[in-house]
Amino acid sequence: MNCAFKRDLARSFSQTLRPRFRSHRRGIQTDFRTTKPSGNLLLAHLLSKAEKRGLQLSTSQSRSFHSTTTSAHGDITRPEPGTGIKVNFKDSKGNLIKTVEASEGDDILGIAHEYDIDLEGACEGSVACSTCHVILSPEYYDLLPEPEDDENDMLDMAFGLTDTSRLGCQVKLTKELDGITATLPSATRNMFVDGKKPTHH
Amino acid sequence: MIRPLKLAIIGGGPSGFYLASRLLSLFPQSYADSLRVHIFDRLWAPHGLVRYGVAPDHPEVKNCTHKFDSAASDPRLKFFGNVNVASNGVDALNSVPSSSLKKNYTHLVFATGCTEPNMHPLLPRDDGIIPALDIVHWYTRHPSNPSPPPLSSTNHVSIIGMGNVSLDVARMLLCPPSILEKYDVPSHVLDALRNSKVKHVSVIGRRGPLEAAFTTKELREMMNLPDVALRPLEKSVLDVQASTRQQSRTLDLLKKGSKAAFGTTLKTWSLDFYRNPIGVTVPSSKSPSYSLSLGHTTVDSVTKRAGPLLDPKGAPITSVLPTSLIVPAMGFHAEPSSAAPYAQWYDLDQKYIKTLPGGRVSTTNLDTEEPKIYASGWAATGAKGVLASTMMNAYSVAEAILEDWTNLTPSSTNSNTHPVAISSSPWDAPPPEILDGLSSANITTYEDWLAVDAEEVRRASAGGKERERMDWNEAKKFLYDTARQKR
Repeated sequence: MNCAFKRDLARSFSQTLRPRFRSHRRGIQTDFRTTKPSGNLLLAHLLSKAEKRGLQLSTSQSRSFHSTTTSAHGDITRPEPGTGIKVNFKDSKGNLIKTVEASEGDDILGIAHEYDIDLEGACEGSVACSTCHVILSPEYYDLLPEPEDDENDMLDMAFGLTDTSRLGCQVKLTKELDGITATLPSATRNMFVDGKKPTHH
Repeated sequence: MIRPLKLAIIGGGPSGFYLASRLLSLFPQSYADSLRVHIFDRLWAPHGLVRYGVAPDHPEVKNCTHKFDSAASDPRLKFFGNVNVASNGVDALNSVPSSSLKKNYTHLVFATGCTEPNMHPLLPRDDGIIPALDIVHWYTRHPSNPSPPPLSSTNHVSIIGMGNVSLDVARMLLCPPSILEKYDVPSHVLDALRNSKVKHVSVIGRRGPLEAAFTTKELREMMNLPDVALRPLEKSVLDVQASTRQQSRTLDLLKKGSKAAFGTTLKTWSLDFYRNPIGVTVPSSKSPSYSLSLGHTTVDSVTKRAGPLLDPKGAPITSVLPTSLIVPAMGFHAEPSSAAPYAQWYDLDQKYIKTLPGGRVSTTNLDTEEPKIYASGWAATGAKGVLASTMMNAYSVAEAILEDWTNLTPSSTNSNTHPVAISSSPWDAPPPEILDGLSSANITTYEDWLAVDAEEVRRASAGGKERERMDWNEAKKFLYDTARQKR
């Protein structure tokens, strides 16, 4: 039992773990596997909240401090195998996690979530956090438009920042990016364990 | 039976919810039903600083609550609000002694955050000396319900400290209310802001632009405020060498200054670098305003510490700033109370809980029946870092808990000992004090919160506003009425 258990656990820990509960914006109707008595109430609430937030976000764009669209995620459709733009995800040690296919216009954060890559998107693509920080290969980095100020402001706070760092939510696929590699930063969760602490508010 | 992991998290802020979320998703599928996570919060509403700290005009930051909602939809997670966990049986409503938690859980996490403001020793609380935390609590309608700042009789505000909280408060006081009214700002706060007489906000720091703790995002927002100008900085202040990317971007912003030109706006602000409060004179019949004495400073290039700036004769250089409201915004610390359940592990110097790698607090043998104890988030790190750092810290603690539980799980061959030291029955029930509180409806659940959350949004939507916050009395009444309608 113990052996099987540890193996099970090891699998859970692996980079490609499949989150049991997927993020809100990826279509909550189908994503909750569990049910409970108040499930319907909860679901209805989440749905109405999603709608309201969606509405609110779209109206706020014109006057918000940010110029970035916030509702881009959640609608990723996987292309027919062999027809999409290839994206390689690597872990911080450079090991390939997986190669996936996505469509023009999809962003790295959305693609990562669609394919269960362990990349966080705490602010859900609204450029208000740095959790979807990825490191690109230089030749692909140079193909991208320069980051906007708000993205740079967030990159300032990213762990393990490099010269070819971007926020995954801001990297939109184009055909010329076929074969791009996104490496998850080395900022390990053990950084606190090692006694290092962020110094900025 | 496999030994269950029954975890109590004290504190339902982002750290507690991120930890719970991570643990729920990492927990091995084949043992899914051996996990329970109970989150306790002193306040009636969950999400800690995300609800009661994030500035109203930063709604994107609050998107993380979607993840918390998602975690809470897992039946293995339960939230209990209005619960005060104390080191001993405090005779207060909904109080749970930590001894009861120890009897009922296999693992305990303190995710209690940093709830107290650091105060300046020379600037004690007064009618016109109000810590930034009180202002944050005021504009977020925190249950502590502080008195509103006297904005209708204030034209000059001095904020002491140069972190993001300083700039949050400055922005709230200077931003046109017509912009703020779309956001999650309580109506009475908007009214007070509309009647505000504030014309200038001085943000005062002991050190220079390289040492300022605010982020470029917050600084840029200040620079972009409509009809608000930054008093241009002296060239000498900007004549410093940046060594990080963030520093050089901050310097660039400071050099460019505000979008609105100084002299063209009614409202202004300033960054008063190299100034250290050395005393204050309270208003009197002779002088209606406070006089804040500031020692001018210089920063040692090696130690980066601020020391007094001396004139050629060796005397300290000082100046006096007349001001109507002084707002210390010098960071926060974890509550040092002896009644705090973590009191025995509290570091009096650092002002947070001492931890070992993985947030582990207790050093007891892994195989004792005592619960394993951890601390996560600001309770364990001090009030530093943005939400992303709290998240990563919480994830590391979740992984440590899982690792410890794995090491603890007895193999099937020697599981003669009772699988778990928990005394509750059924095993996954909360402590009896909680069951009592639930029956009297004083304790809130996540379902209660979701209902209030939806109602707050509903009440505001007619006015095109993000939400209209309820206080506990309103929420209680709403929950009571809703329950009665259902009967």
